[in-house]
Amino acid sequence: MDDLVSQFRAAANTNEQPKALRALVAGLKSIAKTDPAQAALTLRRLITADLDYSAADAFSRVHQLLKPSLPAPSKKLAILGSFTTHQLAALIELYLFATGINVAVYESDYGVLQQEILDPSSGLHAFKPDVVYLATNRRTLGRRPAGNESANDVNELVAQETAAWSSLWKAAHDQLGCQVVQNNFDPPPWRVMHNHEMRHPAGLARFISKLNHAMQDAAPSYVTIHDVDHLAASAGRWAWGDDRFFYHAKLPCAPEFLAGYAHSVASIIAAQAGASKKCLVLDLDNTLWGGVIGDDGIGGIRLGQGDAEGEAFQAFQHYCNDLARRGVILAVCSKNTEAVAREAFEKHPEMVLRIEDIAAFVANWDDKARNLRLIARTLEIGLDSLVFVDDNPVERALVRQLAPEVAVPELPEDPAGYIQAIDRHAYFQTVSVGAEDLQRTEMYRANAKRQQAEVSSGGVEDFLRSLDMRARIDPINSANLERVAQLVARSNQFNLTTRRHSAAALMKMAGSPDYLTLTVSLADRFGDNGLISVVIGRVEADELVIDTWLMSCRVLKRGVESFVRNVLCRMARQRGLTALRGEYIPTPKNALVIEHYANLGFAKISGEVGQQSWWQLPLSAAAEWPTFIQERTAHE
Amino acid sequence: MSSISPESIREHTQTVFRNVFNDDEIVLSDAMTADDVDGWDSLTHINLIIAVERQFGIKFATAEISGLKADDQNIGTFLKLIQKKLDAKR
Repeated sequence: MDDLVSQFRAAANTNEQPKALRALVAGLKSIAKTDPAQAALTLRRLITADLDYSAADAFSRVHQLLKPSLPAPSKKLAILGSFTTHQLAALIELYLFATGINVAVYESDYGVLQQEILDPSSGLHAFKPDVVYLATNRRTLGRRPAGNESANDVNELVAQETAAWSSLWKAAHDQLGCQVVQNNFDPPPWRVMHNHEMRHPAGLARFISKLNHAMQDAAPSYVTIHDVDHLAASAGRWAWGDDRFFYHAKLPCAPEFLAGYAHSVASIIAAQAGASKKCLVLDLDNTLWGGVIGDDGIGGIRLGQGDAEGEAFQAFQHYCNDLARRGVILAVCSKNTEAVAREAFEKHPEMVLRIEDIAAFVANWDDKARNLRLIARTLEIGLDSLVFVDDNPVERALVRQLAPEVAVPELPEDPAGYIQAIDRHAYFQTVSVGAEDLQRTEMYRANAKRQQAEVSSGGVEDFLRSLDMRARIDPINSANLERVAQLVARSNQFNLTTRRHSAAALMKMAGSPDYLTLTVSLADRFGDNGLISVVIGRVEADELVIDTWLMSCRVLKRGVESFVRNVLCRMARQRGLTALRGEYIPTPKNALVIEHYANLGFAKISGEVGQQSWWQLPLSAAAEWPTFIQERTAHE
Repeated sequence: MSSISPESIREHTQTVFRNVFNDDEIVLSDAMTADDVDGWDSLTHINLIIAVERQFGIKFATAEISGLKADDQNIGTFLKLIQKKLDAKR
């Protein structure tokens, strides 16, 4: 089945498409018999806004076949048309099914919408709809200017038409308790006054434009005006208004645009039900800019003025930014070194998106399906609220397979097509934009920060592994003496004995055959943490007695202690010793390390836990412990 | 554009029929009418028109769309109509 789906996707816009579609539909129909749930799942993911008419129609037939096995409808939609709504209704149902909403549909006869609403004995009243969709078009208009009216006459006409629809909306709402969706009016593609049509008070295009505005202004909160005029303009008005199909079958537009039309209506009903997407997750390299930041560097990526493709990437960023400003959450999911990825946001002069526009920023080398789950958890939204944008078809395929809840639009290779490729899906459809939408990114960012600690501890091992930590071991020497002396003088919390050796004493110990000193410098993918741990051991008989063990708290819980334990065991063995012996001396500030030696597998040999105590680790019993830190030699 | 043979038109049209009506068994003969094809209703009719238009890059007139299902029409006349439109394109 997966093969049939990928063959169908690959055949888009080629001569192979009809054949691939048939094979896919045959496959769907065959699994529909044995496993309708699986068939429904597969079908759902195939239904996108950009389906052509034959694919949408074929999928609609499969959907009708599956309907008996689908959950009971959760919504009742009545479609009252002033044109043939049969195909449109089936496709609206299909697109709602794709968003997870099963609807029962009632279709009135063609052209009787007033009667259905006003007559309490109508089929509509018996149906008790949740939503009434008034599928009107310009042919529904009762009156239109004859051509010699004054501006006042035309305004009066607009007011009358608006009032008539308003009272119908109110009747539907009062008597049926339903929401109303109504098409606005698409002007004809021709203009008898040509350019003057928008200026002349009685120009038809001007009249329809005024009426559309008046309808929007008059619509109460339970009414949503569906912008068919925009669909017609996007399609191209002559292509949209292929009237052969209106004359032949009373279709509202050329059949090739019916799927997009139905998708648009369905997206409004889904938005009313709260099923719109919430978060746009963006890849970085070749998605937000041209090139690879990790290879090309800040000066090498293509973004902004001076490069045609760079301008296209910047325009796409403007689009994302505008989405964010109206309440869509932005997140980043990129295979990159985080510090490098962030630097582009912070330092590239042509970046439109800033780091503070991104509610969740995930740049690492883990697989993207896992990272998308992390983003959803961090933002506390469902995986099905995410839209993932990535130029790489392999990443898209991986996410489709491993996180099928996430919407993954196809992207063209040319960045100039990115906006259309995303916008056409109306993922973020909304029926209102309020003040809280405008502050959403900020809110989610704050949330994400609070979540961060929790998220990391949720997958500590993965987190540590992803840090890519590298440690360098050196003895105390003249080069690091200053830093070592500073740590010995100041460390309070992670300090087992709090012995404040002077610099001179430290140098003496470093040069003495009776002492074994080591320092740890740690680097990770965020950068270099510098020298963060000091251990001083004194050889007594066949034991290494640990005089000093301290560590900077910046690197707590990274496994550095285990790493140092491994190194100490190795060094002690090389000296022919048989055990490590550790000492804990309590101070008001070092409760953090009360359990230090116990945690590392040392056995207590004297004293009480929390009091001054001695601990021992026989080397015969001390196996190497796993850590996520790689040891580097001094010259690396 | 080079001329397309009547055989080639028939073959391509047959493929379109098979796709639209989802039936690999369909073999077009001149005497066939809409009544002979399972599922040829007003909806599939539009699918068929669109698919044939797309296949050959032609456009049927309004009357031709309605006329296809008229009593005196059959696959033979339909194929001739396609041929005529293709010839006019050349």
